[in-house]
Amino acid sequence: MRFWEISKRNLKELYRDPVALGFLLGMPLAFILIFSFAFGGQATRPISIGVVDEDQSQISAAFVSCLENIPALEVVSPVYESESQAEEELDTGGLSIYLLIPRGFGEAVERRQAVDLELAYNEADPMLSQRAVPVVRAVALEFLNIPVPLNIELREREVEIKDEYINYLVPGMAVFGLMVLITSVGGIMVRDRAKGFLSRLMTTPARPSDFIFGYTLPFIPVIIISVAIYLGVGVLMGLSIIGNLGLAFLILFIIGICCLGIGMILGTLAKSEEQASAAPWIFIVPLAMISGSWWSVEQMPSVIRGIAEALPFLHAMDASRAVLTRGVGLEAVKDDFLFLVGWAVVIFIIGIILFRRSMRS
Amino acid sequence: MCPCLSPGLVSGSSFGQYGTKLEPHTIKYAIIIITLLGEMRLTSPKVEPAKVSDDLAIQTLNLTKIFNSLVAVDSIELNIKKGELFALLGPNGAGKTTTINMLCCLLKPTGGTAKIMGYDILKQPFKVKEIIGVSPQETAISERLNCWENLSLIGKIHGINAKELKIRSQQLLETMGLTERAKDQVRKFSGGMKRRLSIIMALVHSPEILFLDEPTLGLDPQARRAVWEYIVRFKGEKTILLTTHYMEEADFLADRIGIMDEGKIDALGTSTELKISILEKHTMIIYAWNLTQKVINEMRGRYKEVEVTDGTMIITDKKLDFKEIVDRLHSLGAIVRSAYIKEPTLEDVFLTITGKELRE
Ligand SMILES: Nc1ncnc2c1ncn2[C@@H]1O[C@H](COP(=O)(O)OP(=O)(O)OP(=O)(O)O)[C@@H](O)[C@H]1O
Ligand SMILES: [Mg+2]
Repeated sequence: MRFWEISKRNLKELYRDPVALGFLLGMPLAFILIFSFAFGGQATRPISIGVVDEDQSQISAAFVSCLENIPALEVVSPVYESESQAEEELDTGGLSIYLLIPRGFGEAVERRQAVDLELAYNEADPMLSQRAVPVVRAVALEFLNIPVPLNIELREREVEIKDEYINYLVPGMAVFGLMVLITSVGGIMVRDRAKGFLSRLMTTPARPSDFIFGYTLPFIPVIIISVAIYLGVGVLMGLSIIGNLGLAFLILFIIGICCLGIGMILGTLAKSEEQASAAPWIFIVPLAMISGSWWSVEQMPSVIRGIAEALPFLHAMDASRAVLTRGVGLEAVKDDFLFLVGWAVVIFIIGIILFRRSMRS
Repeated sequence: MCPCLSPGLVSGSSFGQYGTKLEPHTIKYAIIIITLLGEMRLTSPKVEPAKVSDDLAIQTLNLTKIFNSLVAVDSIELNIKKGELFALLGPNGAGKTTTINMLCCLLKPTGGTAKIMGYDILKQPFKVKEIIGVSPQETAISERLNCWENLSLIGKIHGINAKELKIRSQQLLETMGLTERAKDQVRKFSGGMKRRLSIIMALVHSPEILFLDEPTLGLDPQARRAVWEYIVRFKGEKTILLTTHYMEEADFLADRIGIMDEGKIDALGTSTELKISILEKHTMIIYAWNLTQKVINEMRGRYKEVEVTDGTMIITDKKLDFKEIVDRLHSLGAIVRSAYIKEPTLEDVFLTITGKELRE
């Protein structure tokens, strides 16, 4: 278990450097936050809300205009007259939430009786209702201006999943983020080489595979945590997971392993730490682009598409997207999955062969 | 056999004071397959230890290393006996480190080969690595580990069991005076402390053959003594190949010394043998009055080298006869105040052979 000893050492070397570790784990968090705020949608924008005014009284109209004046809300115009219109909008994705002002609202207000309101929302977006309820309640209380019982009834509606960008983005970002790991994996090895420590280890009976596994294993927790961050923050930002989370996790984990292997190969070849950490950027961003991290690559020229198809990244994104947001099982992504595993094996074999060569320069 | 122990250095001072379930099966199998592939390629071809003369621990055969066009090691032939302590003495860039790196299978020779305990460095590198311990020239330690962890890393890679490892580590830390700081991350250590740790990392698995590349570089005199004393303990027991710039280190420690320069071993032998080999380098220093030009000319006619600087005459030649020279000077009219003959030192040997001064 020589590789285990080497990996224990590297684990300590890595995790006893809080700054470096902070970068490593902070990176996925920063990526996913920035990107999902930038492209994911609703988080900080006013809540886009539909209003159904079944009451059609002066009082209800006044309440609607009161809602329209609240910056935190963006009332969709025109105001619906019947609930069926709003429901249709909700089902087709035009709306995520609407407020129903039921018949008798005006009367109840006049008589100072209990007032009922209803909020119906897309169940895939529970965050939205949580943000909307307090706003609507505050507006209603302000409007009524006198203490009357106010009920806001919440209604979930199961809605066919729409292909929101966030659902596309999160798996793409996760793979991109794992690709960025390539820049850090070789670091310890390159530093050890510069300081002669790697040479020292090479005078022990440790085999090339011991080195490759010994220097990669410590990054496995980093992959797991990163994937968890991508998916976790993704969900908070509105990613709707309907498939097998475990399977999606596994797919991302394996592409992570591929990236570790690539980082290791660069660590083996690099002459300096700068080389190992700067050089990968040259191909990471283009590869992420052509593999479809941020936008669909269906329409790309066939040559580019071919390159992307031959590499593992596109397959990881496609497979994890399919599992997460379309709910398909292993059977449907089997080909992609085996392709990824195959790549992981090939990358590690190449790594070991290259390291073996570097052992006797 | 160490004819060169100078008594001053073996002082009686006590040296003791220095002292996962996460992976799916596919990945598991992939790792196993890759490991097997790796091992297979490396363990073949199986070659039996060659029959070399049984008492040789290290034998180089035309060992050569050429970097681009620079000949760093020039077909050296070196035979080091089992249990011998051999010192390679040479100036910067002589090729000492390159030689050691080839012997411990870090560098591939451009030509020739070497056998370590009968194992060929080209064909059986991993056999060689099992029996050697190397203390590299640069301090090679893991900065964020403590002493124990550094030692245990090397020990465990060599397959030493935990209990034995602990005992050995304790002993070694004690010898080098590192016990008190043994639990600190070594990045907080001073250069000398790091150096001491680096040396004992070569010893923790009790290797049969020890390569020490400038083991005392950057150590204070006290620590240097401790290292010497420790190395002396292994004399006769382990085979040690040591490189150094320090004349007195080679003189004190080594059974035999090889003087290396520009990739070649120019002279080889015990300290005494080397000194004898340059016996013509005897010098006589004479302080005298009345060293006239006549006296000087007369002496220059008789001896190989004669230098005079106000009142001091230095004569260099093979075998100098003290009485004869003094008598001759007197008969020529010079008045000798005092005179003495200087025996050659290793320094002189070095200077004569390589034409260079050592760094320190
Ligand atoms: N990797 C390398 N590439 C090119 N030249 C090298 C390399 N390593 C060593 N050399 C050259 O080989 C020669 C011998 O170097 P080496 O390190 O063996 O000397 P040394 O005797 O150990 O010197 P020192 O006392 O300074 O440690 C030097 O001229 C050096 O420049
Ligand atoms: Mg050297």
